Amino acid sequence: MTGSVWTIAIAAVLCLVAIGIYGLLILRNLIKIVVALQVFAKGTILIMVVAGGMAGKPAIGQSLAITVLVADTAITIVALALAIQVRRWCGTLDTRVISTLRR
Amino acid sequence: METSWLLPLTVFLPWAGALVVLAAGRAARLRIVLAIAFAAADAVLSLLLIPLASSRTGFSVTLGGAFGELSLLPDGFGVFLAAVAAVIGGLAVVFSVDYMRGEEGQGRYYALVLFFIGAMVGLVLSANLLMVVVFWEITALCSWLLISFHNDDPKAVAGGIKALIITGLGGVGLLAGSLAIYAQSGTFDIPTFMAQAHGFPPQLLAWIGFGFLAAAAAKSAQFPFQTWLPDAMEAPTPISALIHAATMVNAGVYLLARFYPAFSSVPGWTLAVVLVGAVSAFIAGLMAVVANDLKRALAWSTVSQLGFMVYAIGAGGIFQSQFHLLSHSVFKALLFLGAGAVIHTVGTRDMRQMGGLSKKMPLTCVVFVIGALALAGIPPVNGFWSKELLLEGGLQSGPFWAYVVMLVTAGLTALYALRCVWMVFFAPPQESHEAPGAHPVHDAGPAMKVALIPLALGSLATWLLAGPFHALLARTLPFHFGPGEVGPGASGTWQMVVEVVSAPSTWLALAVVAVGILAWVGRGVFAKMGAGLRPARRAAEAGFGFEAINRGIANAVQGAGEGLRATQTGVLNWNIAAIVMAVIAVLAALALGG
Repeated sequence: MTGSVWTIAIAAVLCLVAIGIYGLLILRNLIKIVVALQVFAKGTILIMVVAGGMAGKPAIGQSLAITVLVADTAITIVALALAIQVRRWCGTLDTRVISTLRR
Repeated sequence: METSWLLPLTVFLPWAGALVVLAAGRAARLRIVLAIAFAAADAVLSLLLIPLASSRTGFSVTLGGAFGELSLLPDGFGVFLAAVAAVIGGLAVVFSVDYMRGEEGQGRYYALVLFFIGAMVGLVLSANLLMVVVFWEITALCSWLLISFHNDDPKAVAGGIKALIITGLGGVGLLAGSLAIYAQSGTFDIPTFMAQAHGFPPQLLAWIGFGFLAAAAAKSAQFPFQTWLPDAMEAPTPISALIHAATMVNAGVYLLARFYPAFSSVPGWTLAVVLVGAVSAFIAGLMAVVANDLKRALAWSTVSQLGFMVYAIGAGGIFQSQFHLLSHSVFKALLFLGAGAVIHTVGTRDMRQMGGLSKKMPLTCVVFVIGALALAGIPPVNGFWSKELLLEGGLQSGPFWAYVVMLVTAGLTALYALRCVWMVFFAPPQESHEAPGAHPVHDAGPAMKVALIPLALGSLATWLLAGPFHALLARTLPFHFGPGEVGPGASGTWQMVVEVVSAPSTWLALAVVAVGILAWVGRGVFAKMGAGLRPARRAAEAGFGFEAINRGIANAVQGAGEGLRATQTGVLNWNIAAIVMAVIAVLAALALGG
């Protein structure tokens, strides 16, 4: 593959990570936060594949990416389940309202 | 090296027992039978280990690259302390049958006691420093859980947390020292380290040595960490016996004795050890004299006697310190279990509300007096022989001022031992426990007797083991004892007797002990002329201000936490922002550094 493909891939990764972080910084709805986290995580998974390919060892990058995908899916399920419970008990998904550390 | 399965069995059998006891669920009788069976089996196993010490056996399992090997080595220290932990721990379990009758949570209680015994046996048998650290922290964990056993009592919970924090703080010194040893030599193996220690950079060796000293002082409740032990008295009394005689506090003395040859060349290390021992022995002796709580008085006496052992190690008397440890384990277990029998029936720990119990509890009185004689160092009980040997060794190779301090402390010991016996058993009886409707006072129960009588016989007899014990240590500890020092075996006991009786220091010490006894007999005179001593008394009752230091540190930590609370907004977005900024800072540092 040519170098320009890697450049495009890295640019895509940076975009995904930037969007994810931006979302985590400004969003207040728990479900949306989980979505932003997913975007961020997909960026990091992609960089594993890219890094493996650039180093000439694509198998390692791909197997790492698969491993992270599995763990990531489990975490997302737990996060969404928690969000459902938060909605049920607090009546809202707004992180500012459910934060009790300050009081 | 031959492999012996006896070693791991002795360590892990009590742990298996703990699980089985927990699994027994609600069957109270079965649970007690199982606990006693496992404790007794482990005591037998630990005694079977003793012949292994002379042979070249061991046990090791590879745990993977990062951890080295789980290796167990039966040398003199290991088999001796394992036997002390398992046998005295077993007697404490038997005693608990009567003491804990009708209490809630007995499954948890017996499981933790067995877990504690196994951890201590593992600690002393391990030949791998990392495993020593792991077992060290497990004993701290068990002591916390058992001190706070009555977890609905705020004082018990506070005492347990205090023990956990202070011993955990000391444990940092052990962990850091162990990691430094690994960084330097690439192995956690203790014999390898002992052989290489003199090739270490002196600066590094000094850090390791003082780290280990801090860990040992915290574990053995030595100055300046002594405050946790009296507060640990909120535990059920058999647990106090376990902590003081069998498992917990011996670990610090063991650590110092084990690594003495490696650190004895570090400038100031032996002096620091002598200082820690002498100061602890003296101030704890003073506090024991003014304590009115029976268990607190005994707790201070433990700190004081451990101070004797630490002092002996600093003066180079490895055998003397271990021999005194043996005597102390037996008579202190006896004293605590005797005190447990008294407290169990009287229902208070305040000695001022006891008195006159000698007629109502004749057996307890006899065994307690034997224990007190051993504590005071009066012949022919075991405490006399070990303390005289220890003082004689200290006079020969330690600093003279420390010897004088220890001699005065020996007098204090006689004074407070006599005071305890008098106040509990012979003082005019108090009305409170004779009032109608009060619980009738009765002598120790059958299970208590099973535990008390062997300990009383042991207090009378363990000094006969001096010769074989010295031979065992000398034969199996090449770093501590030169090839010429191998003891003559069983005949050594007679030599010791001759040596002790003919030494002038013995008679000096006995004279000081007599002064201590006279001070109690003539206390009325002292009380009149003692107005000048009142500030000293008040200072001793206040624990010499160490409590205030503890409180100050606790308050400072709490205040810092309150102050930093503002940074914890609880808003997720701020946390993310902080993480992003931290990542940027790290990347910037890397970019600038690269």
